[in-house]
Amino acid sequence: MPGGGHCPDCGSTELVEDSHYSQSQLVCSDCGCVVTEGVLTTTFSDEGNLREVTYSRSTGENEQVSRSQQRGLRRVRDLCRVLQLPSTFEDTAVAYYQQAYRHSGIRAARLQKKEVLVGCCVLITCRQHNWPLTMGTICTLLYADLDVFSGTYMQIVKLLGLDVPSLCLADLVKTYCSSFRLFQASPSVPAKYVEDKEKMLSRTLQLVELADETWLVTGRHPLPVITAATFLAWQSLQPSERLTCSLARFCKLANVDLPCPASSRLQELLAVLLRMAEQLAWLQVLRLDRRSVVKHIGDLLQHRHTLVRKAFRDGPAESEAGEEERQARGQGPGQGKEEVASRSLDLPEGKRPASPALLLPPCMLKPPKRVCPPPPISTATGDEDISDSEIEQYLRTPQEVRDFQKAQAARQAATGVSNPP
Amino acid sequence: MEEEQTYLELYLDQCVAQDDLAPPRSPLLSPVVPDDVYMPNSSHPETVFNSHLEEVKETSGHFSSVDLSFLPDELTQENKDQSIIRSKHEIEENYKTQSQQSRLSLPREQDIGLGLISNSSLSNSHSHLYPGDADSVQSSLEKPNSMPLVSITPMTPLTPVSESSGIVPQLQNIVSTVNLACKLDLKKIALHAKNAEYNPKRFAAVIMRIREPRTTALIFSSGKMVCTGAKSEEQSRLAARKYARVVQKLGFPARFLDFKIQNMVGSCDVRFAIRLEGLVLTHQQFSSYEPELFPGLIYRMVKPRIVLLIFVSGKVVLTGAKERSEIYEAFENIYPILKGFKKA
Repeated sequence: MPGGGHCPDCGSTELVEDSHYSQSQLVCSDCGCVVTEGVLTTTFSDEGNLREVTYSRSTGENEQVSRSQQRGLRRVRDLCRVLQLPSTFEDTAVAYYQQAYRHSGIRAARLQKKEVLVGCCVLITCRQHNWPLTMGTICTLLYADLDVFSGTYMQIVKLLGLDVPSLCLADLVKTYCSSFRLFQASPSVPAKYVEDKEKMLSRTLQLVELADETWLVTGRHPLPVITAATFLAWQSLQPSERLTCSLARFCKLANVDLPCPASSRLQELLAVLLRMAEQLAWLQVLRLDRRSVVKHIGDLLQHRHTLVRKAFRDGPAESEAGEEERQARGQGPGQGKEEVASRSLDLPEGKRPASPALLLPPCMLKPPKRVCPPPPISTATGDEDISDSEIEQYLRTPQEVRDFQKAQAARQAATGVSNPP
Repeated sequence: MEEEQTYLELYLDQCVAQDDLAPPRSPLLSPVVPDDVYMPNSSHPETVFNSHLEEVKETSGHFSSVDLSFLPDELTQENKDQSIIRSKHEIEENYKTQSQQSRLSLPREQDIGLGLISNSSLSNSHSHLYPGDADSVQSSLEKPNSMPLVSITPMTPLTPVSESSGIVPQLQNIVSTVNLACKLDLKKIALHAKNAEYNPKRFAAVIMRIREPRTTALIFSSGKMVCTGAKSEEQSRLAARKYARVVQKLGFPARFLDFKIQNMVGSCDVRFAIRLEGLVLTHQQFSSYEPELFPGLIYRMVKPRIVLLIFVSGKVVLTGAKERSEIYEAFENIYPILKGFKKA
């Protein structure tokens, strides 16, 4: 607390500013001794002992601000401190909260919404400064539902007319990867699983960039992709010992939650790597599968730009260009080269195993679930005659009405008997 | 066409003259003006304008495509009725038509040029009229097919006129409302109709369904009804009439007033993958892309006022339209933008 304060009784420096019936006092929080007491009036000689009062407490500024708004502003500051954000963020977030509070729709909203609004203001501030904060983190901290959060977030962005930039993927990779507890040996993490942070970060970043280029990131939640990329990076740095470790076990070791979609992102990423491996002559002979390709991720990432260009095509196959490139690539063992040459002279385009695949998002590569037939062109005018019989098919006959009423009464009686009021 | 040009020049000269003479307080400029302003011959600019209107009335047979919608209701209601009716006949002769509604909205594309010029000659109070205001002007006119106001601030990025996409969005859902104009006993309806469900604790309306056209209706005790699920405007109207007939047969004096289409939803496929992150960067003021919340990009087009959901697979959903032409126009506006993001 403010410098130089010692309790005369116990000597501790834990002095707390408190007030007793609006008389401010300085109290020791250890022994309860009242160190100094403010007086309601001061004499000239006493003024030397007085302490500074902050502006917000002296001018009654808080009296103009409603209690719930004050609570909200305090929550915003607390949240910024918990997240260890720079102090400038705090002021911006507070300003956004105040701005939001000027709208009557926000003032009249439920407390739950005002709680969530606190998180929205902090998130917008972080996004505008490119600080990688995910909505999942904020929802966990606020114990809020993502649905409620998303509704309030979209509303407040529209209401305040703000431009919120997208989440910065590279920064998110760095912060997320740093949270994995794999950089030091511990009782739960054996030595062979410990990894160097810098190496893992750079490899993860390269894998995430590869995923972005091959349409695995657009339209999807960013975090599971990063989890899958971190896992692959970690495995590939020491494959001999780590291939046996599964994704779920990896996340448990690293003390990180495993997001649901991460396993399917992992499979997609491995499929992309396999396609790239088919373009490298010395890997073609090995006939890799999803487990063995992990050993060669380092090589694949080194040449990733060329490999992606060769392994995938945007439109219909440019078979001539592909063949030329294959013959020009003189690397690798002679045996491999022969195999490539024989393959290129082989069967037509579609049957070649290494033919370029389409570079498309996975949702476009899957076959459509059901083909919707185009609706028949109807020549309805809206003013056609409506036949009586058509309407009568929807009405109950008097006998049916009586039966229905009897059945309803019987059901109500049965429920009345079984559930006595 | 030449007569149109000369009348336009004549009109613009008068507007310029009015700008020089008249203070901003001119009846042309405010959409809502008190009645006592409309005294003919009360002030110079108004007589000039009224006499010009006389000319317009006589020759409106050739004047079909001038946008008079900036004029306030009381002054132009009768003139506009006549000019709209006449222009409607004109257009029926001149253009191929798809549907009743789109007939009047087709000349709008041509009007934009003329509308822009005529609007720019007025003072600034008009230049900031957004389609939101246009809606209120429209509703006050009580004409379902009136031409909306055109703002001069460019609402969508200007793209050169290229060939059309060749893709036509399919309508998937139409929501319409109608007033049956009589109080209804929902319990009686639920009892006597086979296709009705009524659970007052859950929702205060009867949910009724018919098979042809396959639709669902919410019928409220006040007599108001909402009809959803139809695939075209005509089908929606037919379905609403069938529901009204059912209610009639149940013994209520149901009528069929104020049928109005409230929302139309369409969808289509551009057949190429779209880089949503790039689209949100270049069109930030219209787009909202939050992959943590929703996989699609939400594009709020200002003219026409349509919301588009754009997905990475190239599927586009368009919603918020009151007329079919708005959906087609919105898609024609977005297609060149999306084509720009075709190659990764």
